[in-house]
Amino acid sequence: MALPLPSSIQPYAAHARWAAPLLVIILASLLGHHFGIGVGLLTVAGGVLCGSIWLIWSSLQGLSGDAPLTLDEALSLGAPSAEEEQKRAVLRALKDLEYERAVGKINDADYANLAEHYRNEAKRLLRAVDADLAPERERAEQILAERLATLEAEGGEDEEAAESPRATAKKASADDSQPGADEEAGSEPAVAKSPSSGAAP
Amino acid sequence: MLGSVLWESLPEFGTGVLYAILVAAAYTFAVSVAAGRGRPRLLQSARLGAYGTTALVLLGVLLLAYAFVTHDFRIRYVARYSDRSMTTTYLFTSLWGGQDGSLLWWLFLLSIYIAACVRWLEGKYRLLQPYVIATLMVIVGFFAVLMLYSANPFETSIAGARVDGDGLNPLLRNYYMIIHPPSLYTGFVGCSIPFAFAISALITGRLDSEWIVAVRKWMLFAWMFLSIGNALGMKWAYEELGWGGYWAWDPVENAACLPWFTATAYVHSTMIQERRNTLKVWNVLLICITFFLTIFGTFLTRSGMISSVHSFAQSDIGWYFAGFMGLIAAVCGGLIVWRLPLLRSEGRIESVLSREAAFVVNNWALLGACTFIGMATTWPLITEFFQGQQATVGPPFYNRWMAPIGLAILALMGAAPLFGWRKTSDVSLKRAFTMPTIVMLVVMALHIAFGKQLGFPPYVLDPPTYSGVVGKVVQQLAAIAPLVTVALVFFNFAVVYQEFARGVGARRRNSSEGFVEALFTLVRKSRRRYGGYIVHIGIGLMYLGFCGKAWEIEKEASLLPDESAQVGNYKLTYKGSRRDVDEEKQMIFADMDVMRGDRALPQVHPAKFIYNQSNMGPTTEVSQLNGWRDDLYVVVGTIDPDSKRATFRIHVNPLVLYIWIGVFILVGGAAVSLWPDVSLREVGAWSYARAAAGLTSGVMFALIFASSPAGAVESSRSLVQRDAQVQAASPLRAPRANDFAPLQPRDWSGSGAAVLGGLLFGAAVAFSASRRERERG
Repeated sequence: MALPLPSSIQPYAAHARWAAPLLVIILASLLGHHFGIGVGLLTVAGGVLCGSIWLIWSSLQGLSGDAPLTLDEALSLGAPSAEEEQKRAVLRALKDLEYERAVGKINDADYANLAEHYRNEAKRLLRAVDADLAPERERAEQILAERLATLEAEGGEDEEAAESPRATAKKASADDSQPGADEEAGSEPAVAKSPSSGAAP
Repeated sequence: MLGSVLWESLPEFGTGVLYAILVAAAYTFAVSVAAGRGRPRLLQSARLGAYGTTALVLLGVLLLAYAFVTHDFRIRYVARYSDRSMTTTYLFTSLWGGQDGSLLWWLFLLSIYIAACVRWLEGKYRLLQPYVIATLMVIVGFFAVLMLYSANPFETSIAGARVDGDGLNPLLRNYYMIIHPPSLYTGFVGCSIPFAFAISALITGRLDSEWIVAVRKWMLFAWMFLSIGNALGMKWAYEELGWGGYWAWDPVENAACLPWFTATAYVHSTMIQERRNTLKVWNVLLICITFFLTIFGTFLTRSGMISSVHSFAQSDIGWYFAGFMGLIAAVCGGLIVWRLPLLRSEGRIESVLSREAAFVVNNWALLGACTFIGMATTWPLITEFFQGQQATVGPPFYNRWMAPIGLAILALMGAAPLFGWRKTSDVSLKRAFTMPTIVMLVVMALHIAFGKQLGFPPYVLDPPTYSGVVGKVVQQLAAIAPLVTVALVFFNFAVVYQEFARGVGARRRNSSEGFVEALFTLVRKSRRRYGGYIVHIGIGLMYLGFCGKAWEIEKEASLLPDESAQVGNYKLTYKGSRRDVDEEKQMIFADMDVMRGDRALPQVHPAKFIYNQSNMGPTTEVSQLNGWRDDLYVVVGTIDPDSKRATFRIHVNPLVLYIWIGVFILVGGAAVSLWPDVSLREVGAWSYARAAAGLTSGVMFALIFASSPAGAVESSRSLVQRDAQVQAASPLRAPRANDFAPLQPRDWSGSGAAVLGGLLFGAAVAFSASRRERERG
């Protein structure tokens, strides 16, 4: 969540998200068992009231811009392009076609025609996705190169630290350049990959 | 002191929470729209606002539950739907037992959906997400306004606190009624999520397959609960209303099944858009209509515009619903017209002999059934509008005309999987249809040859509904409906068998897998397809159960003690009446010995209950003996206290058990289809979803098993033994109500085991998913 917390508390924040409701439920169970179900319900209600206040307060803080975005949140602001969605649909259609051929619902001639049609369509979409991403990739690489240059310029003591991100960045860049890298993705788009929405930090 | 202050201010605080829900929903709506209009950073605020709103709804439900368990009769709703004699379980049931509470309950279920959806949307569908949240907040806002200005569950009585409440309607004091409304509401409310996605796709113009993929499982989940809810409603009507059947074509029953038809059409037509990129307008329309019909169903239930045995709570809120329906129609219509250029199909249906063509025809049949039922249900309103007086149509009309529509759907359900996508060659078609057709013809021949001897004649001629030639044609068509139904059901079974066999065969040819491994892998790799086939088996069994109505026997008898009546294969001997009381009611039982041929079956005990707190007359308590072949269903009408003469209505209802078995299989098939594909990024969230699904299904099945009458599937021997034990223990004492399980099903040991099983299952799945995540990570 977006509520800014002191750095000493931050490691525990993720656990608190689950631990606080759990504690409320345990407390409510104990009190409910001892004093009656009504008291248990009131205890849960108290916990829920506190939780709702905290959530709304966090939401309002986001409005004022006090709460910084985490990396995951920032990445989630990207969105797959229409071509990426169509590519997934074509890959699903190819998979179905294979199945229908295997169980004999389609003859070899029809299979060959349709498979060629879908493959051509998939190639076209992959090229379109690649072309769409190219300017953003170049821009990202440029920013990365500038950042690395800045780090190198800062001196020898930071050199070792800079070495690791450089290697990671190169590897990531190499991985991204594989056109079929996303082909194994499931039918549900997992996380936005295109920075074309301009929302990346 | 603090407790006293809290208690004193509870009604006002509850109303305050409703205002807070409205404010939070409005705020979240505004932030979501801003996030959708070029301020993506606000999306996090919108998400938190949605969570906060759902938490406030939960708070409202908890406060009302607290008012019920503490018997706070200052609150009008609590005084009207509970009393001090009610158990805690029924006090919780009262949360949705009346109108005001059921609206809050609806909102609560919607909130659960919203929280789950917002959690699931994290990192996905960035462009659609803000408008999805905004649409859902509009729905929340509508229900908040409705409660605040027309049906506030926290409103206090003007006359002040009463000593005791009116109590829950006796007809609702049934275990199926504990789980029927939440199930049906879960189905109804679940349609909000696909609707929100459809609106979002229309607003953003992202009308390719993206949103279709997104809503696929949400719609299937809602569909599954619509099925469960309708089935539980049938079971409740069968057990509680005592008229001998499970479906009376009552307006509220009809309204509940209308969205089921459109949702069924959608889960099929969505596949066409995914694969062929066509039927875009159709799919958007189906989702909008489905959501509209869920609101329409509630409108019919609550407005009292059409009389129904199910209308337990009526008021003037019908006009709010009418306004909301108008808003939905206007917004959906406007958006679709605006986006019509983007909704133009890129693909087309190339051949009549293709699966997409079969799906389209099936869609039309389903929509035709929906339209027919909708028109017939609202016929009183239509005739009143045009002719100035209401005219209604009864069950014979529905049964006569729904039979051919239903059979057309059944035939298409069997035939559609035999076609391939795009087009099917003659050779493939011949190969696909040969075996199922042979099976169908063999079953028809066997039915014609042996059906009458077995008590299931293939040709059942009822009196004509209409006069003239048309009447005779309709009568003859209806007469062969049992033969056609049984044949088509087996055609469907053969199709499903063939699909599994061919799939397994294909896998085994291409790999070294054994039969079981190939079957398991086949289903695992293609869950939606094979889950769908399992659903088809369930629906086939349900058709078989519905078909049993053609062979039902009904008889009325007026008997003195020790007199007998013969109904079908059953001989019933009336042994006398007895009276018993408990804290909340008087019970008058009529005991009957039952023989089938030379075999003694357990006694049946139809009864009349008179509730202390109820203004209603005596309630009818059915006694049943359920079996694989038929159900013996006995209702007592009157009992003369002096002469002990009693009047009975006795039904023999064949094959009803197959309806409930079919529902179980349908739910199982839907669960297979819903089972998620685990990907690295989703595994964490899905592990919790799986755990929740495991737990939910465990609880659901536990409740169903626990609440099914003990005599239902229990062997006659155990019941005979129990009766004998009761009499041996105290031959002189009058039997008490709890001696007879069929009337008082309270054995919760099975439910405990099933809940535990569900918990363990959920935990195991969550653990395995987390482990897999760690391994991949």
